[in-house]
Amino acid sequence: MPTGQRSGGGDNQLARQLAGRFISLIPILLGVSVLVFLLVRLIPGDPVVALLGMEATPEAIDALRARYALDQPWPVQYLAWLGRLVTGDFGRSIQSGREVFPLLMDALLPTLWLSLAATAVSLLIAIPTGVVAATRRDSVADYAASLLSLFGLSMPSFWIGVLLILLFSIHLPILPASGYVSPGEDFGRFLAHLVLPAITLGTALAAAIMRITRSTMLEVLQADYVRTARAKGMPRRTVIWTHAFSNAQIPIITLIGIQFGQVLGGVVITETIFSWPGIGKLTVDAIFARDYPVVQGAVLLTAALFVLINLVTDIIYTLVDPRLRVS
Amino acid sequence: MSAVVVTPATARLRWLVRSPRAVCGGFLVALAILAAIFAPALTPYGPNETDFVAVLQAPSGAHPLGTDDLGRDILTRVLFGARVSLIVGVVSVLASLVVGGLIGAVAGYAAGWTDTIIMRLMDVIFAFPSVLLALAITAVLGPSLGNAILAIAVVNLPVFARIARAQTMVVRSLDFVEAKRALGFGPVNILLRSILPNIAAPMLVQGSLLFAAAIITESYLSFLGLGAQPPTATWGNMLRDAIGFLELAPWMAWFSGLAIFFTVLGFNVVGDAMRDHFDPRTT
Repeated sequence: MPTGQRSGGGDNQLARQLAGRFISLIPILLGVSVLVFLLVRLIPGDPVVALLGMEATPEAIDALRARYALDQPWPVQYLAWLGRLVTGDFGRSIQSGREVFPLLMDALLPTLWLSLAATAVSLLIAIPTGVVAATRRDSVADYAASLLSLFGLSMPSFWIGVLLILLFSIHLPILPASGYVSPGEDFGRFLAHLVLPAITLGTALAAAIMRITRSTMLEVLQADYVRTARAKGMPRRTVIWTHAFSNAQIPIITLIGIQFGQVLGGVVITETIFSWPGIGKLTVDAIFARDYPVVQGAVLLTAALFVLINLVTDIIYTLVDPRLRVS
Repeated sequence: MSAVVVTPATARLRWLVRSPRAVCGGFLVALAILAAIFAPALTPYGPNETDFVAVLQAPSGAHPLGTDDLGRDILTRVLFGARVSLIVGVVSVLASLVVGGLIGAVAGYAAGWTDTIIMRLMDVIFAFPSVLLALAITAVLGPSLGNAILAIAVVNLPVFARIARAQTMVVRSLDFVEAKRALGFGPVNILLRSILPNIAAPMLVQGSLLFAAAIITESYLSFLGLGAQPPTATWGNMLRDAIGFLELAPWMAWFSGLAIFFTVLGFNVVGDAMRDHFDPRTT
């Protein structure tokens, strides 16, 4: 078969595969929306009171009941709710009276900054440590790295956060313990506020990525082509980074994708400790205010992002590793 | 005919005692279990006993780990906190192991539409970051220890269901299962007597790793105020109380965090050792 023809077929197959993955998202997202819809219906008592708060007037309750089709059976209510979601109508916050959608959008950016910074911190720690641990297997460095990763996986993030505040905000007061400054307002202060939450959130992530980097590198370093490259007298650095590491990337990328999604869950705790005004803190505050429209919107948005990140991870590693396109 | 193709449980557990890692991890786990069981005998104080002349005291002879803002002995609360963490770990992991295992085994054995529907439902649960889903469930059902356990069990369901399904699909085509089917044994008998015993090992390994995760998730929930309610001592709500006194009484934050850390470390080390034993490719 001529090469051109094969690559054309491969591209078609890739496009079909990607389209298939997009389509497979639809039932998942619908399932997520059903679950989030049911969450508010599971609250003991009247969902209208839950949505409007205890102080709602009877007129407001009647108006909401009519507007949201709450006197209809659940499937009709769900479809009506879904229809409004598609147009960006997530309802109104009980507490502030503001529309939920803009509230979510305001909180999304700080969460994205924090998640990206945590991922960057974890990669900076994990990749070099994992590679060194694998290339010097069974050395003191390897044991130290494995022990550190085990510690990182076993420390609850809020404890790391509290210890960092104790050290860097109380004993050596060099970094702020809480708050947020937008990067457009003052980039230096933005970074200063970002450091401690990013380390807090990035530690467990670093531990997991370090482990997979080490084990994948160990596997790749035993491959024939690595032995051949060494036998040819290539510099050690080239063998490790060009030959071995580039082939070890798939499991690492997969794990980063999965973990990045988990980071979105982890922000709940980190944002609460550091008063970082993102989706996580918004969710927790809304839970305690019994502000169910906000809880519903925030949970739905986070889950949708989580599903999309998993899809993007899938796509990235299909692109990085051509072998996966035909499998 | 209850054929089990793996080695007997005793032989499978013997290696645990010989593995130095498993012994170290087991030691930490044993410490937590002993603390939970013997908490009342190990301390002269009650976990909720307040002493307003001894508030925020640094570690001393009378209070080896200091006291909190209500004058309660921190050592006592750390010991009693072990009870909550271990109960949540045991009950939530067992519940999701049993229910998830059954769901996954049924999906894997029945195949076809049953499999598709069950596994898509599991995918939906899996589509939420675990902490967020646990948080949403406890938020809706109300903060309590029981609801925290339920939330953590639900979050872990798909993990066990997926493992059980994959293992069941392998075991169902083995000769002894085919033979039982040919002899006219019903699906319930085959599932319970032939398939479940043979998928138990990977489920238990996963269970030991999820035990650590369950303890951490419980501490998150109680840190946020959504787990067992005050005055019940949990490691998570002790850390929550400590946040307001970081400058005055940093010891309030040290010891409950250390307790979570060592317990989770113990379970992680034992879980790792088990996984390496059953799946040596990962070492």
